[in-house]
Amino acid sequence: MKIKIRDRYRAILLIIMVFYSLFVGLINPAFFSIETVFDLIRTSSTSLMVVIGLLLVMISGGIDVSFMAVALFGSYTTIKIMIAAGIDSLAFAFGLSMLIGGFLGLINALLINWLKLPPFIITLGTQSLFHGIMTTFIGDKSFGAGVLPSCLNKFGQAVLFSFQSDNSRVGLTASVVPILIVAAVTWFILYKTMIGRGIVALGNSEEAARRIGFNPSRIRLFVYTYTGLLSGIMGIIYVAQVNALYPNKLVGDELMVVAAAVIGGTKITGGQGKISGAILGVLIIYLLNSTLILIGLSSSWNDLFVGAILVVSIAVSSYQERVKNRKNLIFTE
Amino acid sequence: MNKIRKLAAGDINFAILIALTLLAIVLSGVFIGDKMFTVANIQAMAYQIPEFGFLCLAMMLSNLIGGIDLSIIAAANTIAIFTANVLNGRWAFGTDGAARIILAICVALLASILFGLFNGLLISRTSAPSLIATLGTMTLYRGIGMALTGGSSVGDIVPGFSYLGKAKLLGIPFIFWIFIIATGLLGLVLSKTTYGRALYLYGGNPVAARFSAINNERMCRSVFLLTGLFAGIAGIIILSRVNSAKVGYGDTYLLQTMIVCVIGGIHPNGGKGTVKGVLVAIIFMQLLSSAFTIMTLSPYTKKLIYGAMLILVLGMNYFINKLIQKYKTR
Amino acid sequence: MQEVLSVHNLYKSFIGVKALNDISLSISQGEIHCLAGENGSGKSTLIKCVSGVYAPDSGKIVLNGHEYQSLTPAQAIREGVQVIYQDLSLFRHMSVAENIAIEKLRFENRRIVSRNEIRRIAAEQLEKIGVSIDLDQTIGETSLANRQIAAICRALAQDAKILFMDEPTTALTKKEVSRLLNIILELKKKGLAIVFISHKLDEVFSVADKISIFRNGFKIGDFNKDELDEKKLSHYMTGREVEYPRYVRKCKDDRVVLEVDRLTRKGHYENISFKMRPGDIVGLIGLLGSGRTELAMSLFGLNPAHSGQIKIDGKTVKIKSPMTAKKHRIAMLPEDRITQGLFMERMIRENITSSIIDKVAKNKIFTDKKAENDISEQTVEELKIRTPSVETVVGNLSGGNQQKVVIGKWVATHPRVFIMDTPTVGIDIGSKAEIYEQIHKFADQGMAILFISDEIPEILANCNRVMVMRDGRCIRILNEEDLEKPDAEKLISELISTRAEEEREEAVP
Repeated sequence: MKIKIRDRYRAILLIIMVFYSLFVGLINPAFFSIETVFDLIRTSSTSLMVVIGLLLVMISGGIDVSFMAVALFGSYTTIKIMIAAGIDSLAFAFGLSMLIGGFLGLINALLINWLKLPPFIITLGTQSLFHGIMTTFIGDKSFGAGVLPSCLNKFGQAVLFSFQSDNSRVGLTASVVPILIVAAVTWFILYKTMIGRGIVALGNSEEAARRIGFNPSRIRLFVYTYTGLLSGIMGIIYVAQVNALYPNKLVGDELMVVAAAVIGGTKITGGQGKISGAILGVLIIYLLNSTLILIGLSSSWNDLFVGAILVVSIAVSSYQERVKNRKNLIFTE
Repeated sequence: MNKIRKLAAGDINFAILIALTLLAIVLSGVFIGDKMFTVANIQAMAYQIPEFGFLCLAMMLSNLIGGIDLSIIAAANTIAIFTANVLNGRWAFGTDGAARIILAICVALLASILFGLFNGLLISRTSAPSLIATLGTMTLYRGIGMALTGGSSVGDIVPGFSYLGKAKLLGIPFIFWIFIIATGLLGLVLSKTTYGRALYLYGGNPVAARFSAINNERMCRSVFLLTGLFAGIAGIIILSRVNSAKVGYGDTYLLQTMIVCVIGGIHPNGGKGTVKGVLVAIIFMQLLSSAFTIMTLSPYTKKLIYGAMLILVLGMNYFINKLIQKYKTR
Repeated sequence: MQEVLSVHNLYKSFIGVKALNDISLSISQGEIHCLAGENGSGKSTLIKCVSGVYAPDSGKIVLNGHEYQSLTPAQAIREGVQVIYQDLSLFRHMSVAENIAIEKLRFENRRIVSRNEIRRIAAEQLEKIGVSIDLDQTIGETSLANRQIAAICRALAQDAKILFMDEPTTALTKKEVSRLLNIILELKKKGLAIVFISHKLDEVFSVADKISIFRNGFKIGDFNKDELDEKKLSHYMTGREVEYPRYVRKCKDDRVVLEVDRLTRKGHYENISFKMRPGDIVGLIGLLGSGRTELAMSLFGLNPAHSGQIKIDGKTVKIKSPMTAKKHRIAMLPEDRITQGLFMERMIRENITSSIIDKVAKNKIFTDKKAENDISEQTVEELKIRTPSVETVVGNLSGGNQQKVVIGKWVATHPRVFIMDTPTVGIDIGSKAEIYEQIHKFADQGMAILFISDEIPEILANCNRVMVMRDGRCIRILNEEDLEKPDAEKLISELISTRAEEEREEAVP
């Protein structure tokens, strides 16, 4: 049976995670509990939500670093409206935030299509633009738990099932539900729909995709708007979990999500990437971040470890790609 | 007529840049001239330009070869942390006073070169795209800084060191001299030396450069070594002015250095752009920054303006190029 | 028979090049039509106009009775136009099955795709050609020959009315080629019109009903199969009697400059041995996959060999990079002058000095503009590069002049061995003749030249020895006497393409 190279990569990631977990568990047996798993899922839920959107963008050959600003914009605006109008509906929160996020994503897509410049630079600009617009025109105040619509906190605390452990109840966060739904929907889009295949085609070769009738501009409109939608959802999840609304959170953590996608095997050059890989990438980073403390290293060591793993994974996968290219006498630099 | 066309096509970006800068000077003169163009404020600007300027030069170099170096700010901060640790005695090996300062600077420069070389080796040996590679090293360098400091700032510097940040030579801050000299040298190297020529060719078409027997690996390594060096110098300057070092200082600089490069005429695909464009762009950004401070704009509003600027400038470049194409094929 | 496609007075220009001049053509149902002509004669441009990639400057395209000034790719597909490009346009990270089926599904405006259906469609096409390849591999992991098969299947999946194939058989074995030609005949019976570009004259003559000959952007004429033979065809394609002045080695120095001894690079080529003396122009010919480009790159340091030796003046050298190659005074004119040979946005003088940057310098550090100008102007004059000045941007030159700039760049390094990879592709007749002349002159002056080409007449005219490669091996070296014989052309043609049937079974699982 042939194990394809990409599958091998993800398998290695998984194995590393397992061994690392065993290692941590040996040093600190408290690690081996269902709480750890639930906790990991809960803290990584926001990143999981956005990495799925980012994955699509990267597969299409682009990149987006404005998604955190979009998430913030969507959730902040929505909640301000909810507070002012006294609305207390979770559906409204998600719905409006999604709409706003999608709209902002659309703007990204339009700019990228129109200006034809590297998406990194453009979304770096829109990141500041969106955040700046929000704080200047919509508001820059923080809102504490007291004023927030109660549906948010209820959602943030909601668990799917729980049980008693020691002296507290632990449960699997309900945030898993939107994530699973989004993952399933995205999987369906990517593998079962024409637009999904168009995304992959575009990432492989814009010209070839055009030749068989795909419309690159339209595909880009789709992926960036989709990412915006997911970012809008994520914004609400974040506020629900934190139970407070700040005007300056989230923005600045984008590159960690990009790193997760890269560790998960998504290439920045586009054309390939797996949802499971991106999810694994996020989980590895959060696993590292939360467990270093269990083996005696303070949280200040997080970046170092993540950075090291990132550099190694980039070095390995880039080198592999280069060897393959050179063998076919393809030179790109 | 043809000569005007050539001039227009090549230097129109620069002409617009000069116009923008003059406009900024005039407008700020009219509205806040009393605070903007005082001796004190001009000197303040002259003190602030160098650290930002070196970061811009670093970003410019990475752009010239068609890439991007995201790690410059993390490197600058971590190197500042290293330097601070020497200066406050923790890593001083028993030296003190002037000897300690010299040791500190040596450590800083060595670290800069190492950080830069690491980037260069990573990218040249694995052909990793620079965006991703420097994303990784940025996290790594930041991680080193975090591991050392836990996020708090490193202070307690030997007093003599801050003298560097304040000293003046002929009325102009010492660090400004250093920046100007460095810029001049870089400009000279890029426009008049064989290295500069090879750099532009490599940046414009690395494949053809390889087939022309240009040593691509060496070019890549040396350019990133330089970006590391400039980032490190920025770190030293930051330390000498702020008198402490910490992770995360100047994170907002990243966007601004990119704006400078775009405005300054550096094409993100590489192979095009000059130091003089970047220099004027740096001055322009500094004018804006000072004006914003005088107008007490909130950091949020500044962000909005910077973000809008980047998009507008990109859009403007696009239109201008389109017009030039139309003009050319008439 | 009903007309499927006709073009009327089509014109198309790009900057500096008139690609199509007043082209009119008509193709009927069930007709097999061949577009013949040298590289750069306009055949590919015509196909791109008809398939909607380019918009013609003027003229009319009529498909199934519908008139168009220009069309979009979608419109072309709707009219039943299918094109298999030389670069195959496949998606590297998608599976073979998906590559085959995706265009059809896209065209049918499917929203949902099912894996089973994809496989079914793909399997169906493979059966039509009678080949089986791994459907689940990604294209990136598939061999070149299998990729061509996938590309052909993709076009077949669309049940087109008119199928264009741009050099479809470059890497196929004789068995696969004849299988393909049989399919083409089958499709013809079903009423499909097939237009293919090929310069493999034996294939052209075995299936084509009509042959249109292109030269320099003009259509010379339409001919029936029986109106032409190989010699006449060549004559029309090149516009002159095929006999270019044959190169005869005049150099008297017989000391070996370059010796290659059992050079091997696993997967690319093995046990290559040959010698070159000053004044030798050694032709190197072989199909895609024969290892010829790989070998050339190894001599230039871009693809280091695994075993065997390269000797310069009798001394063994290791060539691990182009810098080392240059040091040993080996130069290479790359295959793709636009991406590999030139800095398109830079001036002629910057290009010409790009390999001698530290030579045109004061103290090796500062660029010397005067020296640069001197060398550039000298080169421009010697190689007859047509340009108003050395400050002209290279992207504005014609193909022929661009190639001369690349040649000039390397001549400026005073090489002793000059490898030229298909130096006259896409170049007008006039420049070609000039380049041949220059190459002969270099050889007379003592350069050893390795001349890689696909066109046998060109090789015969310009080389005093010829190396034929196939499947990574050098199967024959023809010397001066062999080349004098009248059947030399036929011999080379056979040597290139005959392949043991058994050897190929392994590549097709």
